[in-house]
Amino acid sequence: MIRLERLTKRYGTLVAVDDLSLEVESGCVFGFLGRNAAGKTTTIRMMMGLLEPTAGTAVLGGHDIRRAPEAAKAVTGYLPDHPFLYDKLTALEFLRFAGGLYGLRRADVGQRAQALLEQFGLTRTADELTETLSQGMRQRLALAAALVHRPRVLVLDEPMVGLDPEGALELRRLVRSLAADGVTVFLSTHSLAVAEELCGRIGIIDRGRLVAVGTLADLRARARPDDGAASLETVFFDVLGAARDA
Amino acid sequence: MTLLEPRLRALWNVIRRARLRAATVSVLVGLFWVACFVLFTRVLGYFHGLGSFGPFLTERLLSLLFLTFFGILLVSNTVTALTTYYLAGEVTPLLAAPLSHRRLHHARFVETAVASSWMVLLVGLPVLLAYGVVYHAGPLFFAAAVAVLLVFLVIPAALGVLVTTGLVLVFPARRTRDALLVGVGLGVAALVVAVRLLRPERLADPSGLAGFTGFLAGFGATGSPYLPTTWAAETLLPLLGARPGEPLFSFGMLASTAAMLFQTSAGVVERVFLTAWSRAQTGHVRAGAGERPLSRWLAVLVRPLPRVPGCLFAKDVTVFLRDASQWSQLLLVSALVGIYLYNFSALPLGDATPLAIAMRDLATILNLGLGAFMTTAVAVRFIFPMVSLEGRAWWILRTAPVPLLQVWWSKFWLGWLPLVVFAELLVAATNGLLRVPLPVTVVFLVTLVPLMAAVVSLGLAFGAVYPRLDTQNAAQIATGFGAILYMLACLGLIALVVALEAWPVSRLLAEARSGTVGTQTLVALAAVAGSGVAVAAFWVAKRIGMRALGRLGGA
Repeated sequence: MIRLERLTKRYGTLVAVDDLSLEVESGCVFGFLGRNAAGKTTTIRMMMGLLEPTAGTAVLGGHDIRRAPEAAKAVTGYLPDHPFLYDKLTALEFLRFAGGLYGLRRADVGQRAQALLEQFGLTRTADELTETLSQGMRQRLALAAALVHRPRVLVLDEPMVGLDPEGALELRRLVRSLAADGVTVFLSTHSLAVAEELCGRIGIIDRGRLVAVGTLADLRARARPDDGAASLETVFFDVLGAARDA
Repeated sequence: MTLLEPRLRALWNVIRRARLRAATVSVLVGLFWVACFVLFTRVLGYFHGLGSFGPFLTERLLSLLFLTFFGILLVSNTVTALTTYYLAGEVTPLLAAPLSHRRLHHARFVETAVASSWMVLLVGLPVLLAYGVVYHAGPLFFAAAVAVLLVFLVIPAALGVLVTTGLVLVFPARRTRDALLVGVGLGVAALVVAVRLLRPERLADPSGLAGFTGFLAGFGATGSPYLPTTWAAETLLPLLGARPGEPLFSFGMLASTAAMLFQTSAGVVERVFLTAWSRAQTGHVRAGAGERPLSRWLAVLVRPLPRVPGCLFAKDVTVFLRDASQWSQLLLVSALVGIYLYNFSALPLGDATPLAIAMRDLATILNLGLGAFMTTAVAVRFIFPMVSLEGRAWWILRTAPVPLLQVWWSKFWLGWLPLVVFAELLVAATNGLLRVPLPVTVVFLVTLVPLMAAVVSLGLAFGAVYPRLDTQNAAQIATGFGAILYMLACLGLIALVVALEAWPVSRLLAEARSGTVGTQTLVALAAVAGSGVAVAAFWVAKRIGMRALGRLGGA
């Protein structure tokens, strides 16, 4: 459902993402981990067509983002790490606008927007300009917009930032429920606990290179073959340490 | 100073990283400075040469100048202080730091004063320099001029901070900002109209000079001895040798008032800052009942359009109508259009003397260029900022299954339709006032269609190449480096089109007067050539714009 093929981004001599290939199957929650500036957001921006790769491509829902960007985007929902919205639109107007961009029929978009506002606890703020919403509410609204067209692929870049505990819990439930419905979720996060709880497969990126990929059990077996109960945190640092030593 | 360091370092980094841009801006500023100096030296020299009447006029002009500066500075500081004290993001870490509110006030005060006053300094210094040169003043005058100007700037800055703080304590900050922006638009528009209605062209007419000097004299009579503007003028005039006075006393009044107001402002802000800041943070604005009809009305309006373009159109119109800075610009543009039309109605072209005929022909030929240029001035304010106003929300459009070309066309139609109607009406109306023959008007109106398309395409291209994603204020975006280049590019294009059509149109005018026929083919060819240039510019700008849009990623 998601396939990255030798994705590379160079800025002059700096290699931000280096020949990154991976595959995430349908209905899987994939955790994308790494230190700051490891290349997570650059990878996601290339996947979403926000940044031109130097080489390679991403295939989302069977559509190549470089060859058929509209088709790839039509099946994908995206939540950036800092979701800037249109300040002068109300929450409801913003969702209607997002629905329109994804080609939802006029008759359906209103109902869908109301349902999402309710689902994300935003009904009371439906008529408020987004400039007056708190960061957490903006985050919820941006997530609602990412889901407005019922995507088959969901790309989330640090989705927990700004969410209150209740919002974070709801998001975790939502991700699980979407995955159960067959939606492929690509989740970039710094929260190892969240990744451990939600992700069926995990990829670790360091200095632009994918240094490990697999289930938590795979990563454990590789980093700590003698410790079958090692936490993701332990595995994460072991993998990064080994990558640095290599 | 520590608190100002980040701003200074940021400025230095910008200059270091964009040397060419910094050099271009410096050259443009230098040229403006020299132009101001030369203009004022000539005007003051002219007044000075009017015998015993001269000093009287220059005195009044200096007072008028300080009064104008004071008005502009008061409004500008009030608006700026709202942002720097109560809306800027960098206030939060400062507030969290172990920092007294008094120090915070001082740092914000300097920032407010600099941001509001640099333009006045830019104009004020060459003007005072021109005074010194015309009056052959000594070095003391020049030193005093700098000191007076610097101290003078503190007074409206302090008053602006006090007014803003009062407003924030009473109204939500965002509503205050919107009201202030519209108020500023109204104020500036009124000022522009008022200046035009003074009919400064009378200066060129010796018989009209008496009226203008009468105005200045009348103005001078109302100069109150309690106004800082009077103290500033009274400090400098004796040092110019224009007349005796007590410059030290006047400067003392100015400096002590500035110090007193600065301390008052610091004291008030120190006491109420947290309350005012807290109020500014809780300014919930419900769109609610007032805004829902807008959504409904737009939904009906875009129904005939395809889904995505309709959606983009409704969003852009909603954002535009809710942006107070756009309203303020609309008011200013309306005033300028009014003046433009008034200027044409006031042209003395009624008689049939050869001079009047030649002037009418010249005005007619230039009218295509002037009308197009006037429309470009509107485009700088509304088309150029279109890309920047998407701001950091660009990711929404870029990650949606909408081809970039569709986004571009949506913005193009939104800009071109009103602009071409505006330009056609403007040129048709002014041609009517000039009693231009119909064939010429038709040629102009036909040429304007592709020309305005090129102007809009250039606006989108320059807007995408020089985006300012850090601000949501259209007026601020329209004063940037890219906007200046955009104006220059449009000016060049318009000049080229006018040059191509000038000679055939002048022949057509001559034929219309003599009743002969013969140059229709030539005129048609010229119109086609002019339109061809515009179409070529449209196409090139579209390509550049699309490429630049592709590089914009947003969040």
